[in-house]
Amino acid sequence: MGYIELNVLNNQSNLAMGIDLGTTNSLAAVWKDGRPVIVHPEGEAASVPSVIHFPGEDKAPIVGRKGRDLAAASPERTLFSIKRLMGRQAAELGSELAMIPFPVKDGEDGVLRIQVDGKSFTPQELSALILNKVHDHGCRALEEEKPDRVVITVPAYFDDAQRQATRDSARLAGLDVLRIVNEPTAACLAYGLDQNKTGNIAVFDLGGGTFDISVLSIDDGVFKVLSTAGDTHLGGDDFDRVLVNLIVEGLKGQLSEEELSDPGFLTGARLAAERCKCALSSDPEAELHMVLASRGVTFHKTITRDELDELISPLIEKTIDCCRRALSDAGLKPEEVDEVVLVGGSTRVIAVRAAAENFFKRIPHTELNPDEVVALGAAVQAHILTGGSRDMLLLDVIPLSLGLETVGGAISKLVERNSTIPCSVTEGFTTYADNQTGIDFHIVQGEREMVSDCRSLAKFQLKGIPPMPAGMARVAVRFHVDADGVLTVSAREESTGVSTLVEVEPMSGLSDEEVERMLIASIENAAEDFETRRNADLNTEIGTMLTATERSLESVRAALDKETLDDIEAAISASRAATSSESPSGLQAVRDELERATLPLAALLMNNVAKSALSGKRLDEV
Amino acid sequence: MSNCPHCGAELETPLGCGACKVPLATETQCDPFSALGLPPSQAIETSELERLHLKFTRWIHPDYFAASPELRALAEKNTGTLNGALSSLGDPIKRADHLVRALKGPSNTEMKDMPQAFLMEVLEWSESLQEAHESDAGSTERQRAFELLPELEERRSEGMNAINSLLCPLPDAGAEALTSARRELNAIRYLDRALEELETLRLAEAEAR
Repeated sequence: MGYIELNVLNNQSNLAMGIDLGTTNSLAAVWKDGRPVIVHPEGEAASVPSVIHFPGEDKAPIVGRKGRDLAAASPERTLFSIKRLMGRQAAELGSELAMIPFPVKDGEDGVLRIQVDGKSFTPQELSALILNKVHDHGCRALEEEKPDRVVITVPAYFDDAQRQATRDSARLAGLDVLRIVNEPTAACLAYGLDQNKTGNIAVFDLGGGTFDISVLSIDDGVFKVLSTAGDTHLGGDDFDRVLVNLIVEGLKGQLSEEELSDPGFLTGARLAAERCKCALSSDPEAELHMVLASRGVTFHKTITRDELDELISPLIEKTIDCCRRALSDAGLKPEEVDEVVLVGGSTRVIAVRAAAENFFKRIPHTELNPDEVVALGAAVQAHILTGGSRDMLLLDVIPLSLGLETVGGAISKLVERNSTIPCSVTEGFTTYADNQTGIDFHIVQGEREMVSDCRSLAKFQLKGIPPMPAGMARVAVRFHVDADGVLTVSAREESTGVSTLVEVEPMSGLSDEEVERMLIASIENAAEDFETRRNADLNTEIGTMLTATERSLESVRAALDKETLDDIEAAISASRAATSSESPSGLQAVRDELERATLPLAALLMNNVAKSALSGKRLDEV
Repeated sequence: MSNCPHCGAELETPLGCGACKVPLATETQCDPFSALGLPPSQAIETSELERLHLKFTRWIHPDYFAASPELRALAEKNTGTLNGALSSLGDPIKRADHLVRALKGPSNTEMKDMPQAFLMEVLEWSESLQEAHESDAGSTERQRAFELLPELEERRSEGMNAINSLLCPLPDAGAEALTSARRELNAIRYLDRALEELETLRLAEAEAR
């Protein structure tokens, strides 16, 4: 029985979507006409900002670009960087808690709860909102197939709990996760397409909030991760923060401590910092400029590229340290790396490029858009997983070692980091007391020698060992890390055959029941699901456009030729007729038609505005 | 070696068939050497293990069976076993450890005693490493610790040679050579820990500069 037969039997849609679920932005891509392409509705930006804005009680959260646009005005009701909260507990977040404008606490199940307007959300649920948005964003660009099967990328450094949380949020979003893939590995797939080389590749991925370095080998179409290292708290946002600090320092005399730590002020400062940083990627110097109209305060400073480089050089040095570690884990010297791939918007910073080039002694690849590479790679993996190709194969690795606690809080490592996954390892254990009938296991993840320094994943007990003298029982524990990097453990007492299979319930994580419950809750809220919401959005938009068109049409009617006028009026009546109960795609078409028909009108108005400005008249006098 | 139940081809690994390119169900837990289609031996090039691993992976990787939950689960399990086999045999130390245990030699928890003279040496390294940790970058204490490096590395490669000759040809189950091999393996663990600490020191030194 070959796999080709299976594909014939399989009547599911053969398309699957690759999703880069980013800390700052998210993107969708699919395989189309023999290559991966980013999918987004025409006329809209490719990426969906990973931002959720809460407009107020009893109002549905606004996700994506609109949410981000609203953040400047009311940052205290907007959530950024939800990805950082995935699989984490309040105590682990430390200074990041300050970045969240809502109360946060751990639930009884160890999963974070973010309290908004009397409701509480887990990071999984919030992330599901973003996944829904980006999936919808991608689907709107696809004509026939709307794939519910997805490949989602995560930083290579994500531990078991974070991967579980990502998988749970996809379930909550109603998506079928074919695979969780490491971001740098996905990037490598995207680049590997056109090359059939043999050699070693380093993927240097500096995003908004995370840094990953992966070393891979390519051999006849098989990509194998040799090692990964990184820092989950290092990225372009940190570069911005360095500039934000300059603003804060500079305004210390003029503003109070309180004003300087106001979220609104900080958002403004962050936007100013980002603008300055981006300008420095092309210009040798740029302005760091911020106006605080409400207080009549202005900050202004010219920053040269050299100054920025010096400010961020400790941060860049950190990335190079990670590169060193990854290479040493892979058993390679920098000169043995044949290709260097740059991923993530922050690799546009010239000093970052230079540092990578200098360390690897190689000019890095930048042919693909660094913001899109990961999503493109996810689409390649989605294509492989839907049976589209047996020529390429991605062998991913587990980023952190898995082990069991032994006597005295030490760790016995069962699966070493950078082992290829899926991976099974069986280890033998025995009893230490006479007639002992149970053995406790504590599973941890991390590289340090002691349990207290590692992340605790689960505790479980093997029960029902028959009474026998100490050391006689033979307990085989099988650790299985699946292809997504998520762990299951089973244990078996071999001298008697007593066997228990234990699903590892992470101590901080959602149980299957909880996911089910949230799923039911979100289905019950289906009235607010995205079709309805999109309909409402489109209706509002069409309404606004109609009012504006009708008002301005009267003032310039005489200046329009008959053909254009008829065209506009036809579009207006079509829009009027449509606003009742049209399907979202129908409404979209109506909206687009109205926009097209009114283009000459808009041009005329713009022209008049320009003329009125020249003649010194106010617009309403035209 | 047995044959494929589907096509009858001779199997190179019990985990899957190269002719049908599908994973096969195995009755018992497959040991690492047979997973890779090899007789137990210490004298194998790691590159040969990697070659076989890749060859078999191309037949049975779960990514090729996403459409069928059953085949996918089997592929996942068998690839897990195959990957586990490479990770337990790919490194010569781990391979030796596996062989000593498989041949009923002492495990590392059963045999902890080391010769007195060796332990005295370990104590000396530990002391100089400890001093180096507590001293500043560039100090003579650090310098002295780094001078240990060539000696430790040489000891490690001697130990590795000793293990290779103790296990080639493969001794009988329960043979005395297994106890000696375990002792050498334990010594290498001490050496590796010291080498790891030296690496930490080196990184700290590099950072200070």
